[in-house]
Amino acid sequence: MKRRDFLKTAFGCTFAFLFQRTGSFGTEYSSYPDLVVVTGHPPATLVESAVSALGGMKRFVSRGDIVVVKPNIGWDRPPEMAANTNPEVVGEVVRLCYEAGAKLVKVLDRSVNDPRRCYVQSGIEKAASFNGAKVIYPDDRKFKKVEIKGEVLKSWEIWTEVLEADKIINVPIAKHHSLARLTMSIKNLMGVMGGFRGLIHQRLDDSLADLAAFLRPTLTVLDAVRVLVRGGPQGGDIKDVVQKDTIIVGTDQVSVDAYGATLFGIRPQDIGHIKRAAERGIGRLDLDKIKVRKFSL
Amino acid sequence: MKLKIKLIRLFSQILFFSLFLYLFIKTESRGEDKIGYPVKVFLEFDPFISLSTIISTRSLSDISYFFLFTIAATVFFGRIFCGWVCPLGFINDLAGKIGLRRKEEEKKWFRLKYYLLVGILTSAIFSVHISGFFDPISILVRSFTISIYPGFVLVLENIFDILYSAELIGDFTEAIYNFFRENVFPFKIQSFFQSFFVGILFFILLGTNLIEKRFWCKYLCPLGALLGFFSFFPLIRKSISEGCTNCGVCELYCSGGLKAIKHSWSVSECIECYECENVCPKNAISSGKNQKPKKVDLGRRGVAFAILFGALFHPLIKVHPLYRERFFSSRLIRPPGALGEPEFLKRCIRCGECMKVCPTNALQPSFLESGPEGIWTPILVPKVGYCEFRCTMCGQVCPVGAIKRLTPEEKIKTKIGLAFIDKNRCLPYAFNRPCIVCEEVCPTPKKAIYLEEKKILIGKVNIVIKQPRVDPELCVGCGICEAKCPVSDSPAIYITSIQESRSKNNRLFIGNYRSS
Repeated sequence: MKRRDFLKTAFGCTFAFLFQRTGSFGTEYSSYPDLVVVTGHPPATLVESAVSALGGMKRFVSRGDIVVVKPNIGWDRPPEMAANTNPEVVGEVVRLCYEAGAKLVKVLDRSVNDPRRCYVQSGIEKAASFNGAKVIYPDDRKFKKVEIKGEVLKSWEIWTEVLEADKIINVPIAKHHSLARLTMSIKNLMGVMGGFRGLIHQRLDDSLADLAAFLRPTLTVLDAVRVLVRGGPQGGDIKDVVQKDTIIVGTDQVSVDAYGATLFGIRPQDIGHIKRAAERGIGRLDLDKIKVRKFSL
Repeated sequence: MKLKIKLIRLFSQILFFSLFLYLFIKTESRGEDKIGYPVKVFLEFDPFISLSTIISTRSLSDISYFFLFTIAATVFFGRIFCGWVCPLGFINDLAGKIGLRRKEEEKKWFRLKYYLLVGILTSAIFSVHISGFFDPISILVRSFTISIYPGFVLVLENIFDILYSAELIGDFTEAIYNFFRENVFPFKIQSFFQSFFVGILFFILLGTNLIEKRFWCKYLCPLGALLGFFSFFPLIRKSISEGCTNCGVCELYCSGGLKAIKHSWSVSECIECYECENVCPKNAISSGKNQKPKKVDLGRRGVAFAILFGALFHPLIKVHPLYRERFFSSRLIRPPGALGEPEFLKRCIRCGECMKVCPTNALQPSFLESGPEGIWTPILVPKVGYCEFRCTMCGQVCPVGAIKRLTPEEKIKTKIGLAFIDKNRCLPYAFNRPCIVCEEVCPTPKKAIYLEEKKILIGKVNIVIKQPRVDPELCVGCGICEAKCPVSDSPAIYITSIQESRSKNNRLFIGNYRSS
């Protein structure tokens, strides 16, 4: 993108944003919305305006924080296949963290395919390190067994970088999943688990609810720029990718996922792990009772 | 002047050894689908494996011709490769420093390496290609890949672990660790089934330096023998002047077989180390153009015996069920792009480059899976690792074209086997437990593993369970399903070699699967 185009768009969004604000002024929205949903282009600008509609990154990241940004870098696929989080989205989140005064931003995921290939082929390594993030590869010694105290997961190996971070920002991609139906924020948390994750599929919904109760990211930025509607979570066929140009940002991971499900025409209640997480009070899935601010650029 | 040559030679050896180590360490995926370094260059300059491959395949294609340069250099300068370049020679020199400096009897065994050379090349004529077992560069790359390097890194990591747990880690040790991590350590320590045996053999090879320095080079190395053969017109020749008192110091220091310097100079044994000139107390040895080099006499009987022995390998090895027309080994899964089995064995030199570069550690040195001829050739063991769908690295590093270099488009269509489900062990089939791991990880654009919903009555409750099925047309046999299957000891989905692209006969269906 040209510099001039960027400025135009940036200007555009600022205006749009201001307009939105004035539009909703005087209603019962006294504080920030629960969810912000932005559609348009380019992805980085969507992230920036969505986060600022939620109060700006300073609301979530304090000066001197060590922040872990957790995208989905699970697969050895290029960005257009929508198997991993959009690299522009990850890069922008990193940039906003530093802008808010973070001391160090770490980007990590425990990939399914060979991590080197996933990190590089997804474009995330480049985008993240370009914005100053420390890109961290999985290392067996960095996983520590901790108490999860869940219904299924009593204890599990968790990435120490995540346990030690001041703030966690979850940056998943929304896509189809053959067992969970959809994988978004909560399912993305599996990427900080060590050990033999293949076992948890037997009781996936409860395990994921356990995980969501244990790990509550400060902020969730759901990438629905390109989504995988079939053949997920790995994809690999461009015909299964649909352009949605949407970013959903919120602090409640259940609400984010609940809204995300609607993009696929699925009711949040129909997705086992989202329903379980809501039942256990981890978050809210009833979209009627959630303050959603929607706008497009 | 004398000291200078010694230093220059040492410098040259260190330079080439460092280059070797550097390229060896760089033989690793960094996420891009290319290496970016000429990691196989030492093997490409090796005339022994190149010639034996040409002979066994009767083909001039798919190998590099850099080896001609080595031969040309040898024709005019003798075995400078052995004394100045060969990384194994350098290691032998180092190990020889520990050895005892005795005045040994002149041994006639030096001929052994020529017989070995003749025998191996003869067996290559009969299409049994075993040069990789004896080629020094191949030995070095293989031993380092399979045993020495992973072992070395393991020890270092353990030391750092102890420092770490004892909280002795300071800025200094942390800095050292980070240096190692970035420059010396692999991304992940690889492990190999044959690690112990390959390592022991390598240490035995080094240990022979205690009997005599450069024992390997003097008596066994077939590459040295080949280069000795090619030392036709040495431009610089050694000569002994009349000042010689027959004190024998030069013989003691000589690194060549046959005491290359004794009485007269045998060019084919001399590795151009210049030690004799350096140590002569009378300065009686000099380099010039004068003396006529001595020819090595191998003896007709010995050569005939070597040829006979080499020829014997053919019947000894080929009388094996694997060479029958319709006998296939289910677990003989070769890397993608590997040639058909007979052609593959005619090329593979067991150097281990492909195993070094494999990002998932899936490629392992075989033992007897492909017969005695195939020992240490690469096989894919899905339980250890799977074939990364979009990776083409092994074909890029193979120095002899045993594994073809595939384009990414070719790679994703190349089948190395087929997945089968063991319904007695598969969780959804055997225990009615949901599990879709194999389907989830299956990498083909249209998934070769698909799920079928089955209604099952348990007691009085109807449940729906998704059961995996394999589409044999789409499956490429990459083995990620087997590698990631939660039934870990003996996976409920596994790969066998049938349907592999490289074989015409190892087939499951008659005609097209779909149309039938």
